[in-house]
Amino acid sequence: MRSTQVASLVAAAMLLAGCGQGLLGDGGAAQQDDKAPIKLGMLVPQSGSEAAIGPYMTNAAQLAVDEINAKGGVLGRQLELKAADDACDAQTAVAAANKVVTEGVDVSIGGYCSGATLPTLPVFGKANIPMIIPAANSQELVDQKLKHVFLINGTGTQQAEAATKWITKQGATKVALMHDNTSYSKDIAVRTQPLLGDKAVITEAVTPKESDYSANIANILDKKADFVYWTGYFQEGGLIIRQLRQAGYKGSIMVADGSVSPKLGEIAGAEADGVFATMTPIPDTLPDAKGWIDAYTKKFGSAPGPYSNQAYDAVRLAAEAITKAGSTDGAKVISALEGINGFSMFSGPLKFTPEHTLSAGGFQILVWKGDKFALQDALS
Amino acid sequence: MTQLVWNGLFVGSFYALVALGYSMVYGIIKLLNFAHGDLYMLGAFTGFAVLSALGGVPAAMTLPVLLGVLLLTMVSTGLAGVVLERVAYRPLRGAPRLSLLITAVGASFALEYGMRAGAGPDPRVYPVRLSGTSIEVLGARLTLQQLVLIGVAVVLMVGLHLLVTRSREGRAMRAIALDPRTSALMGIDVNAVISRTFFLGSALAGAAGVMAGAYYGKIDFLMGFLIGLKAFTAAVIGGIGNIPGTMLGGLVLGLLESFGTYWLGGEWRDVFAFGVLILFLTVRPTGLLGERVTERV
Repeated sequence: MRSTQVASLVAAAMLLAGCGQGLLGDGGAAQQDDKAPIKLGMLVPQSGSEAAIGPYMTNAAQLAVDEINAKGGVLGRQLELKAADDACDAQTAVAAANKVVTEGVDVSIGGYCSGATLPTLPVFGKANIPMIIPAANSQELVDQKLKHVFLINGTGTQQAEAATKWITKQGATKVALMHDNTSYSKDIAVRTQPLLGDKAVITEAVTPKESDYSANIANILDKKADFVYWTGYFQEGGLIIRQLRQAGYKGSIMVADGSVSPKLGEIAGAEADGVFATMTPIPDTLPDAKGWIDAYTKKFGSAPGPYSNQAYDAVRLAAEAITKAGSTDGAKVISALEGINGFSMFSGPLKFTPEHTLSAGGFQILVWKGDKFALQDALS
Repeated sequence: MTQLVWNGLFVGSFYALVALGYSMVYGIIKLLNFAHGDLYMLGAFTGFAVLSALGGVPAAMTLPVLLGVLLLTMVSTGLAGVVLERVAYRPLRGAPRLSLLITAVGASFALEYGMRAGAGPDPRVYPVRLSGTSIEVLGARLTLQQLVLIGVAVVLMVGLHLLVTRSREGRAMRAIALDPRTSALMGIDVNAVISRTFFLGSALAGAAGVMAGAYYGKIDFLMGFLIGLKAFTAAVIGGIGNIPGTMLGGLVLGLLESFGTYWLGGEWRDVFAFGVLILFLTVRPTGLLGERVTERV
């Protein structure tokens, strides 16, 4: 008896709270049209295994927001960034998505872990909020064919194709693929393997957050691989490169875009020299990005990291679409995004394919030289 | 094959070093200190801070400097362990064991995210690194640095073993493990001995942290989580509460992982390791060298 009473009380309280929020939210929306800030929601991992990435993305987004606000904002209104933690975890991400939707965001510009971004698609979809996804790039995001979802990073399929092109060009005959079992990393490895055919001699999976990969490396050396392609993130990537070389591996090493970070070289040390990477265009390889890197470094006291530039572009793209649409209405912004043609991003001029992925500015090959990645081959 | 054995022994010696703290704390107050892995992380970060403060280290001095840093770090993580016990565990000494366990999990998160707030979420790279020439022994490649690290681990473990079996302090620890109340009646300062046990265990975890930092190079605030679980597994395999057993458990776990990866593939490495944990808990909960324990109710 007692427990049912408590339960119904709790339920009633939750209903009340829900209604309250709804009413308040509506009231806010009615007033907000002329002067209230335009809110951009951003879900990124701030805790959990990928916590290191969150600040790179929110800082860069904040930089773009501040720049746009300094120039008078969008439609005469200021932009406001509402960042929330998705912890790279599906359940946390859905809760965070609901939170930013309740806060009344107009466009979502987040999404790093594919596994955490996928379940948030319907949440934003129901609220009619367009999503510009800066980093998450699993093919599954595209396969749902949702109208409000736009990807401004190349997909796993495109990356696998680029990797295969380069591996073939290098004349490798025995390729070892290594992934870390996450949705992003496995996606690339699994898509690369059939493209390579007989040349792929072994696929090794590792556990993120371990320090010692000597057992996996022993297997790769056993198969006499002459090319290793690591598709996971830089933290493990750096260790793997170092341990491969220390174990006497002489062949080529290539990493995927999750590993493209200055930290990769720091972790691997001198052994990083000559390591290739598949990557969408990044600030370091663009001649005119130095000013941007300096501005970021000055503001936040450290250099931009992985996906800083995509997050920065996502904010600018959202601002552009809202300006074009002349309104923050979801449907209008979506058609404005579909109509974008030649908008300048770090990865090149932007035009969306019918699937809402990048039509150009795909992957290129970088090489680690001295203390940073430099362009090796544009693969065009 | 020799390479697999060597890899396993090398990783295993780290596990053993961390597992000892788990095992000692469990032995004395029957607490699974889930924050223990984070003391390893704390050690790695302390070493990083000290080395960064020192600035450049000449190549010839790398080893002596690292050993000095190792000692300094052991003292500071040891003290951190003492504080942890005083703040988080002692107030709950009389409480049901479940609350202690939950507190340990809380302490673990507090340490992890406290470090993240303090040092930032980015992984850090050790300014001084052990890297060098490798030598071939019976078909396995091993480096001098690996040998030095294993040597340090062995010295620490033997030292601990002598301390526990030969000294008055060790006798007090064993007495408390057997029966805390009677020990108190016999004039042993139970709280002080438990504090010192935490000091020793935490210092060893800190040492392992610095060694991992100097060898692998990369440290981050979550690095203690997985090794904490592995150390727990090692302790269970060898016999939790039993010091030689725990050392053996660490080495066995290292070898299991090395061979598991070879036989089953990398994605099965942890499945294999933790599967063995379950197997031991069901078939032989006292571990390889554990004695039969009768629970007093």
